[in-house]
Amino acid sequence: MTTIRMVDPAAATGPTKEIFDAVLRRETGVFGATSVSNIWRCMGHSPALLEANWNRSRALMQRGRFSPLQRELIATAVSIGNACTY
Amino acid sequence: MRLGVDAVGVTELMGVTEHTRALATAAAGLLLDSLESERALVAPLDPDKAEDPVGALLDEIAVWAEAAMGRRVAPMLWRVLAHNPHYIEATWRKDRALMSDGALSARDKRRTALGVAMAVRGRYLIEYTAAILRHAGDTDRDLIEILGVVDHYTTLNTLSEGMQIESDIRPPA
Repeated sequence: MTTIRMVDPAAATGPTKEIFDAVLRRETGVFGATSVSNIWRCMGHSPALLEANWNRSRALMQRGRFSPLQRELIATAVSIGNACTY
Repeated sequence: MRLGVDAVGVTELMGVTEHTRALATAAAGLLLDSLESERALVAPLDPDKAEDPVGALLDEIAVWAEAAMGRRVAPMLWRVLAHNPHYIEATWRKDRALMSDGALSARDKRRTALGVAMAVRGRYLIEYTAAILRHAGDTDRDLIEILGVVDHYTTLNTLSEGMQIESDIRPPA
């Protein structure tokens, strides 16, 4: 069970709403999401953390020479290694 | 897994991941601290003095190393494992089976292996895998791109585990 309540994207305002909208566009394109995924909703409690990690996600996962698949292969393998079930 | 990877590709990805973690553990257990170092917990076998089938296997690995890394010598890890013929044979055959082209390309597998080695801080495997990728043409920028994914997913893994976030990402129907 998640240790904190998740932010409702529908109730978000300002920069947090803008980032949630961008996250949803990205996740819809990558894996067909219909709502903002839980990890970003949790980060929404700290707009500074949300913005910093979204900027890093854009820099590290959405730009560069590798294909999205190549990056996801590495990401999945690292997550397995870190025993992360999410 | 989306992005067009089927069950075979996912299984290969799991194989690359567990194999790399296992090799990193073996290298650390042997106190192999650098690809260039000849120091280890156990002294390596001299390929010139190894009897077959181990001698033939080390020759095969040396031929592979010349093509893959540009150096015609079996890397230290294999020369140490050569003390146990069954161990080196089974592990080398597994390496060839898992790290060659399949549903995933050999190069993508190797880049993934570098990410795993970085994540577990396995210095020997980082140097070993980076040497293969550099020989294949990967640049500093490519290695940094891999590190960036490792870095970012270490962030996301830490947050999701720390906050016990339930996965809401489902496989396609």
